[in-house]
Formats: sequence, structure tokens, C-alpha cells
Amino acid sequence: MFKVVIVGGGSAGWMCAAGLVGVLPRSQYHVTLIESDEIGTVGVGEATLPSLKDFNDLLGIDESQFMRETRATFKLGIEFREWDLPGDRYVHPFGSFGQLWGGIEFQHHWTRARQRGLNPARFEAYSCAIRACERNAFEFPDSQFTRSTHYAYAYHFDASLYADYLRRWAIGRGVQRVEGQVTGVALHPESGNVATLTLKSGARIEGDLFIDCSGFRSLLLGQTLGSEWQDWSHWLPCDRALAVPSERTGELTPYTRSTAQKGGWIWRIPLQHRTGNGYVFSSRFLSEEDARETLLGQLDGKALAEPKLLRFRAGRRVHAWKRNCVGIGLASGFLEPLESTSIFLIQRAIQDLLRLMPVRAVGEPADPRLSNEFNRRSDALYERIRDFLILHYVANRRSGQPLWDHVRAQELPASLQHKMRLFEARGHVPYYKDGFFSRDSWLAVLFGQGLRPAAYDRLADAVPLAQLDGKMRELLDRVHGHVEQMRPHSEVIEHYCSEEPAVRQVASL
Amino acid sequence: MSAGVPREVILVGRDAPVWLAACVLQQALANAGVKITVIELPSRLHAVDVYATLPALEPLHTRLRIEESKLIGVTRGAFTLGKRFVDTSGTAPAFFHAYGSHGARIDHKEFLSHWLRARKLGLQGALEDFCLTAAAAKHGRMLVPDPEIEAHGFTDYAYHLPAIAYSALLKFLAVKRGVVVHQAREASAELDAQGAIAGVVLDGGRRVAGDFFLDVTGEESQLLSALAVKRESWRSHFVADRVLVAGGAPIQPVPVYSEVRAWADGWVALYPTQVGTHICEAYSSELLSDESALHAAARLARMALHGGVIRTCEPGRRAVTWERNCVAIGQAACVFDPVHSVDLQAVQVGLVHLLHLFPVQADYEVERAEYNQSIRSAFERIRDFQSAHYFLNRFGGSQFWTRAREHLLAPELRHKIDTFQACGEVAYYEDETFMIDDWQALLIGHGVWPASYDPAVDRTAPEVMERELGRLLSFIRAKAEEQPSHNDYLQTVCAPPQRA
Repeated sequence: MFKVVIVGGGSAGWMCAAGLVGVLPRSQYHVTLIESDEIGTVGVGEATLPSLKDFNDLLGIDESQFMRETRATFKLGIEFREWDLPGDRYVHPFGSFGQLWGGIEFQHHWTRARQRGLNPARFEAYSCAIRACERNAFEFPDSQFTRSTHYAYAYHFDASLYADYLRRWAIGRGVQRVEGQVTGVALHPESGNVATLTLKSGARIEGDLFIDCSGFRSLLLGQTLGSEWQDWSHWLPCDRALAVPSERTGELTPYTRSTAQKGGWIWRIPLQHRTGNGYVFSSRFLSEEDARETLLGQLDGKALAEPKLLRFRAGRRVHAWKRNCVGIGLASGFLEPLESTSIFLIQRAIQDLLRLMPVRAVGEPADPRLSNEFNRRSDALYERIRDFLILHYVANRRSGQPLWDHVRAQELPASLQHKMRLFEARGHVPYYKDGFFSRDSWLAVLFGQGLRPAAYDRLADAVPLAQLDGKMRELLDRVHGHVEQMRPHSEVIEHYCSEEPAVRQVASL
Repeated sequence: MSAGVPREVILVGRDAPVWLAACVLQQALANAGVKITVIELPSRLHAVDVYATLPALEPLHTRLRIEESKLIGVTRGAFTLGKRFVDTSGTAPAFFHAYGSHGARIDHKEFLSHWLRARKLGLQGALEDFCLTAAAAKHGRMLVPDPEIEAHGFTDYAYHLPAIAYSALLKFLAVKRGVVVHQAREASAELDAQGAIAGVVLDGGRRVAGDFFLDVTGEESQLLSALAVKRESWRSHFVADRVLVAGGAPIQPVPVYSEVRAWADGWVALYPTQVGTHICEAYSSELLSDESALHAAARLARMALHGGVIRTCEPGRRAVTWERNCVAIGQAACVFDPVHSVDLQAVQVGLVHLLHLFPVQADYEVERAEYNQSIRSAFERIRDFQSAHYFLNRFGGSQFWTRAREHLLAPELRHKIDTFQACGEVAYYEDETFMIDDWQALLIGHGVWPASYDPAVDRTAPEVMERELGRLLSFIRAKAEEQPSHNDYLQTVCAPPQRA
């Protein structure tokens, strides 16, 4: 039996436990998860990306049951308010803009239409998902979608309820839960691999592969194995968050809201039973008291608890997998939740680990051939997300506000600078094999932050100008027509996954 | 650098690469008011030359509105579903690199893992036995996708095109579509005061001015050299420095794949077309004389050969492929080893990248940086695929193949082999030309045997796996037999024009 030991039971720990027990053969792998009721979980990640559905599908989780139990709502994108100037807003949708004509991406046709005086609608108007957000509408995507009406959806949910849900799911399938706090870590004298964990109770737990889901403490990967920390806080200076739930009010929006503030930004995440709020700020530029006051002052419903403070730093462990220890979640790195990437990063790490899982019969859980590939994938992902997050900050015109002046003036990573220049020169956006972030996501934020291409791809000239006008109008009608048919988001939630006591009884695992 | 947005594009070069470039640019950019002119240098093609292509050419032809039946009919070329690699020393088993997927997912999990597990449990079948494309090729069948085949997996094909005829066809199209052509024995770049290219001087006299230039002159990279761009050698990755081409009689029926036969001093490839068998041999001049090479080619090909031509081959690339107002395409940008016949693919990769970065303003520094970076990595990944073929060989203890095994490995390739060896996973990079299935065929073909496979497949009951593997084999057998023979396909679908 190959023994996997997971340290920590938040979203990362239980997603990992569920992923492993759901996919690996139980005759070969034994999964133990150590968690302590005395240690709280962070549970910030209440908003997700569309790929979470793939993870749930992999485990065979029923969507409506999952949504009911985690009090989830649908999410079609993120609304960014005042990230450039007061009063402005844009949406980063989980969907496409326009469509390809002659194999040429839509932003080129749009730029051409604008430069040639056709007076097209604003770029965002050509997105179904954005239109749906504006109307608080939702519908499950049609499997027969065409590019012009393509979108995907994610969830807002209660992260601790999700962890609870996965805990029951995983324990029911053989994961051994051990209550306790890790007080000692013994390394193998020759290999330096993690060999045994000692708990406060004196119990000893041995394992072949250890997964560090201990959060910011990074108990095994950071503290014990000393995996080097790469700091990115000079680019992403926010290092605190105050989180507070409030009573649900108003219409149920199918999107997360992120509003720029003097010292950072405030999130608003609508759940079925409450609204999640939080102020992500930089302690260099804003005091905790000011943050607290601003956060509470702008709530649209009554606060349901005292704001809870979280401390963090942007960056990551250079080796997310070192020796026989894999860090997943905050133990391996942190990027502020501006684009809801926390749970996504956990999910990707689990999927990569499963592809590269050590096997008892042949080797060595510390096989560097496996960890090198895991770390290569993790590096690429972290760096891309980092660039994407920084992009939100750099293109602001909030002058006179120290945080915003600072981020505007900073020296950018060369990789991001290059991407921005390519976009400003000719509307070119990055394309990645694994699709993350997608071209449409880059377009949403580049356009949203007010950047505009100076020119368009000359291949777009192949569409006769006289036809372009008609094509653009017809496209807009199609997008509007599609969204007309959607139901109000709240209505879909009510029918699909709202809490009904009788059903909830039956749905227990 | 010239003042405005480039409008006058001058291509300097020869043969299919320059005409393919001209057709692609003309079609993409004529609407944007760009004028395409070709300075045609004397051809270096011989009757025995062939362009052995890779599958990506077919969609490019479709974009260029080149009809396949016409292409094959006019050039008397042939289809190819892949390459078979044979070790004539008998040391290593033969393997097929087919242009299609292996097997199909079983129980939502990848085929390769199931196959590795099945092998451990005693299955005899080779990976290529589960590849419909390879099966069709071995049966002499052209594979034409139908909905059932598409649901099963992907399949692709490429061509063997007699080089002179293909080049002539492309030239005909380019001219017909409005490309201006000047012929010259020689062309030399003339620089402006800032050091960019201002024009090209033909045969020491006539001058053709332009504002953007494509260097398609071949390995000398005449224009890039005028801009003082240095060459980087890849000699440390490759042994062969000579390539011999020759012609043999057609094989009947015309095989729908090529065969690459390794022997002590190199390898000999047979590329069948309707007009003959095109032979290509790679060897090292240090280890083999040209005369012996010619004898070896005939012996290995098992046929009488004619029209032999010997060329040197110095793999390597230019430090940058876009310098100032000049982009190098094809061998002018990078000379590849002949294995896996990547030359025209490299031309295509260069052109497709260029289309999406073609200057839209007078300043195109950022496009240039992007192009150089992405082409560099695209070429390196192609090189890795070729390099793996040599490094991993099990073709006996001759000097040629021993040296090949001792050659330098790029870190990316080292990592790729290591990862595959550990667990059967292909470490896949951005800018790869070859797909995961290609890498699997190559690595498994060369005997890189993963120490483990995705443990998740052990959750599939052995009976289910066995049943599914059996079902796949029957499907492949039935589908392959259903297909038209390559010869029938050539005669009915791609008949030559009435007037030859």
C-alpha cells in the first residue's frame, strides 16, 4: 500500500483527499488526512473559475446537490468597478467576444470597424456573458453553442461548506481522517525525505508521499524542507484581507464584484444565504482601522459577524514539490483572489499530481523526474496568473492615491510588458496551449483597463468593409436575442438548488 | 528602417519555399494593399528531389484554395500516412510513426496508460497495432475519415510531392494571383543609411526597391547575412553532414507511407510517388565516402538508382530570424537534419507566425521580438524531435549510431525523455509542432519504456480493458479493410489532367 498523508483540512486538503480517493485505485493507495479543529481555515476562496465543474465531474458529484449543500450561486464573470477611473466598470466574462471572420479574431474586426468610422457598439457589447451579467440573467450554456454566444459558468459558494461536503464525500470513500495537530516532523536520515509526523497526542504517522495543505504556515514544504520562497509583493503589494459576511439583499447577481479602493479593493460575492465581502489591502498604504471602516461602511446588508483579518504575501515556493512532499494551496504560494484563482490553483495541482503520481511498485516518491515536471507546470501557471493580476493594477488612472501611484510606476515583469506592448501595437493577445488565461480573458481586462490597439491585424482587411457593418449588427442582435431567452439568475437558483429541508435530508451522504 | 507601414514586400529565393511564401502572403495581405514581388533565383532542384511533407500542409493548401486532386494529379505525387522506421541490422524492432492517434480512451482514461498496463499483464500487441492510421498504411489503404473514424480518434495524412512539379504548381498559382516575378541569377541586398535593407540588386545591375523583405535564399541566408546576422551551429546534436538524393523505379502498388532504413553508416529513406521512388540518404562524410554512400543507397533501397545528387548538410539556425526589415523563411532561417522531413513544415511555421505579426505600423520592434522568440522555441522543439530520434537509437554499435547516442541533448528534451521514462507522461511545451501522439510513437518506438503508468487505470476492471482493447482491434481491422486502396484512390480521385 502506498501511503499518502495530507496535512491540513481546508479546501486544499479536502479537495486533494477527494481527488486522490476518487481517481486512484483504493487497493494501492491509502489516504490519510490530518486536521485539527483548533486550527481555523482561511476559506477566502468563495468564488471559482469554470473549470471547477470539471473537477466535480471527475469525482461524479451531482451539481444541484453540491450547489444546494454549499449554498452556491452561478458566476458568469467578475465585475471590476473603478479600477481605472471613478465611476467606470467592466466585466471579465467567462465567455467569448464576438466571433472569428476569415479566421481573424474579433478584436481586429472591431478595431477596424472603429477606425474606419463604422461606429460599432463598445467591445463588451459583443459578449453574451457580459450581457447576461448586466441583466442578472442566467441559463445553462447550450451544448450546440456557436462561438458568438459561447460562455461557461463557475460558482460562488461557501468554501467551508464545500470542504465539509468533500470531507464527507472523501471519508465515505475510504479517506482516513485523523484529528490532531502536527508537532514534529522526522526526516529520513539519508534521503532527507519526510518520514514520520508526530501529533500533539503523541501519535506517529508514517507516509510515502506527504501533501502539505497546511496553508500559509507551509509546515512541511516551507518550514521543514526549506523550499525557497519567491516574493512577488513588490508587484502585488496587497498583504491583508478583512473578510465579513453580510445579509443578502437586492438582486442575486451572477457575478463577483471587485471595487477598487484607496488601499486595495473590495470583493462582493453573492451566495444563497448571505453575501461574502472582503477588503484586500496593502498595510503599507492603509491601516487596518481604515480598511475596517471602509469595508463596513459600504456593505449593502447588515454585517453578520466581526470582520476577520488575514495576513499574506504574494509569491510562491520555487519548488512546489520537493523530495517526497508536495505543497498544494497556500502552502505552495499565494496570489490575491482578484481573479478567483486560489481554488483553481489547488485543482490544477491535484490534476497534475494525479498525472505524475508515484507508484509503489517502481520507485521512489521523491523521484525528481516527476517533481521536475510538476514544478515546470506549476511555474508556468503561477507566472501567467501573476502577470494577469498585475495587469489590473498597472493600467489605472487613480492618480494621487499612493497605492495606485506606486503600482502604476512600478517596473513590470518583462513578460507582461511584452504582452501589453503587443496588444497596444496591434491587438495581439497571448495564446496558451492549455488555454489559461484564455484570449478572451486577456481581451476583457486589456480593454476593460482602457488599453486600445493602435492598429489591427491587416488580414482583417479581407472582409469587405461594406459587409463588416452588417456582420457586426447581426452579431449584436444574436447576442441580445440569446440573452433575452435567459431566466433571472435567482429563478434558476430557486428551481435548481435552493434549500428545501425535505430534500436536504435525503441528500446527506 | 523605411518610413511607413510596409507595402512593398520583396521575396528573394527559389523553389517551393519562395512560392509557398508568395502564395500565402498574397492571399493574406493583397486586400490590405500589400504588393508581393518575388526575385526568383535559379532553382536548385533536381528531377529526383521530393518534398516529403507533414500533415499541416493540407489545411494550408485548403486556405490557399489548392485542390488536393489537382495537386496530386498534376505533380503525380502520393499520399502518406506516416513513416516506418526499420533497423536493417536487426537489432531494434521496426516501428511506425503514423499521423494519427493510438487507440481511444477507455473508461475516460488515456489509451497509452491502458496499453502500458495491458503489456505488463502480458498483451503482445504493439502500440502501432492500435493505430488505425498505421493499420491502413500497412494495408496499402488510403484513410478517408468518416463520422465513425472521427469519433474514434484523429487521423491525418501528408504528401510526397515531386519537387520540381510542386514548385511549378505553386509558381503558377502565385503568378496567376498577381505576384510580380523578376528572375535573376544573383541578388544582393542594398542597405540604407540606417542599416536596413532598401532594395535588392539583380545580377549586378537592375535594382528592385521594397520596404519589407523575405529571405528565402536557402542555407546561405543571403539577406540576413548582409545584415550581419550570425549563424548558430547545431552540429553538436547531429552526426550526418551529407544528404544524397537519387531516383528509383516506382513501387507498385504505390505504398502510402515512407520507410526509413537505418544501417551501420546512417539511414536511407524511400519516399514513393507515382513517378518513382525518391531516395534520401543521410550519412557522415567522416565515416563514409560519397561513392560508398551511393552504393549503400542502392543496396538499402533494393533498387537501381539514377540521378544521384549529394549536398552538404550543416544543421543550425540564424541567431535571429527577423532582423530589421527582413524575415528569413525556410533554410535561410534554419537548416534541419533530414530525418522526419521537416523542411516544408518549417517554412509553414515561419509563414504562419509571420502572418499574425505582419507589421501594421512603421515601428514593429515588438512584433520582431515576439516572432524571434516564438520561432526560436518552435524550431528548437522540432529539433528536439529529430534529436530524440538519434539519441535514443538502438541501431547497433557502429560509429555513426554510437556517436548519435553520445550527442548533446537540449535540457527540454532531456526532461521530456526523463518524464516519459518515469511515468509515460509527455512533458509538452508551448510552440510544439509535433503532437503528443507523435512523441508517444517516437519514444515507444525507440524503446523508451515508462517505469509506471497512470495508476488510475488500475481501477478499470481487467475484463473491461481486455474487451475494449479487443473491440478497438476489430474496429481498426474492419475500418482499414473498408478503405480504398491507395492506388485506386490515386486513380479515381486524383486522376492526372487530360492533357499532360
